[in-house]
Amino acid sequence: MSILDQLYEKAKQNPQKVAFPEAANEKMMQAAYETGKDGYIIPVLVGDAEELKRLAGERGYEESVFTIVDIHEEAYKSELIAKYVALPDTRLKEKALGRRMEDPLYYSMVMQAVEEADVTFAGIDNTTGDVLLAGQMIIGLKPGISTISSIGLCDIPGFEGSEGTLLAVGDSAVCTNPNAEQLASIAISACDTVAALLDWEPRCAMVCYSTLGSGQGELIDKVTEALKIAQEARPDLAIDGEFQLDAAIVPAVAEKKVKRESKVAGKANVVIWPDLNVGNVSVKLIQQFGHANAYGPMLQGFNKVVCDCSRGAPVSEIKGNVVISAVRAAGSKKNG
Amino acid sequence: MDRKELEAKVLELVAASYKKEVGDLSMETSFKEDLAGASVQMVALVAEVENELDATLMLADASACATIKEFVDLVEEEL
Repeated sequence: MSILDQLYEKAKQNPQKVAFPEAANEKMMQAAYETGKDGYIIPVLVGDAEELKRLAGERGYEESVFTIVDIHEEAYKSELIAKYVALPDTRLKEKALGRRMEDPLYYSMVMQAVEEADVTFAGIDNTTGDVLLAGQMIIGLKPGISTISSIGLCDIPGFEGSEGTLLAVGDSAVCTNPNAEQLASIAISACDTVAALLDWEPRCAMVCYSTLGSGQGELIDKVTEALKIAQEARPDLAIDGEFQLDAAIVPAVAEKKVKRESKVAGKANVVIWPDLNVGNVSVKLIQQFGHANAYGPMLQGFNKVVCDCSRGAPVSEIKGNVVISAVRAAGSKKNG
Repeated sequence: MDRKELEAKVLELVAASYKKEVGDLSMETSFKEDLAGASVQMVALVAEVENELDATLMLADASACATIKEFVDLVEEEL
């Protein structure tokens, strides 16, 4: 059973409410319908109810599969606004929030913030920038986290790592040139993401071109400083480095290069790149030469699960990402 | 609200969002060099402007402002 099949099964055991602010989009509605009809999620379509009902009918979908939320219905909107502004540390006040909620993306996130939905799934009509702004404005960042970032899950045929063929890597998509504090945030968020999604005990390696001082220079200094920040912030997590990639994931190399105790060296299941140049190139290498399937990018760092899919994504990919985000949301609740 | 009042209000909002003293800021203050803020602070500032001045800004436009003066110009256009 592939990792994705396993995640589909896991989603079915505890279906989450996924809000779709772009449900009028044909591909998005199909993905919402099929994942809802098969019991993986509870799809909540957010928008103009009349239009959504008409489109669902025209497309031959059973309306009963969906929960449809009409953004023009004032009573429910007022209820959401009242609950939202009562939360601690929210940015927008009543009037500004009401205006933003004319956009289904913001409306969905407010529902999520007040726990009327578990996930907001968007990105087919909205740009990544739109989704990130709405997420930062409405959902906010997790305490102690200084940046939004992402991880990808690579399934690499023939790789014999500590989680079989799987390896989580980040950030290969969002945070371009993280400073040390941001790099620490990426590592911490990545550990939380894999714990929620896969029930892994995270073993996170911060990689660069040096293993424990074998190289020197400012590029390495950033990684060691980030490591220190991450370890101080979250001593409960196994985050270690600085390691070269082979010392991080190959036990025999770790044995030679890492001459001290490490829960991570040689058996990392999460690898954190020093910047986006490394991340982007590395994922392409894994895909091209390793023939890997890469799932993601999964956004992380938000207080709750926000998902931004690729605008050109086919329905099968959207469904996979919907299910992944639902499993993350269920796992986050469990892990507190 | 005239330009002077708007400038004073924006300085106050920048100070709150970037956790600085109003007295340390001026129209010439650079977001990148003097405030060294992350996008999170700019999001906070955009939200504050929406709350206090009823102007909805695009984050991309706000992030493109080099100085507080340019930011005030942007807010003024939206009012």
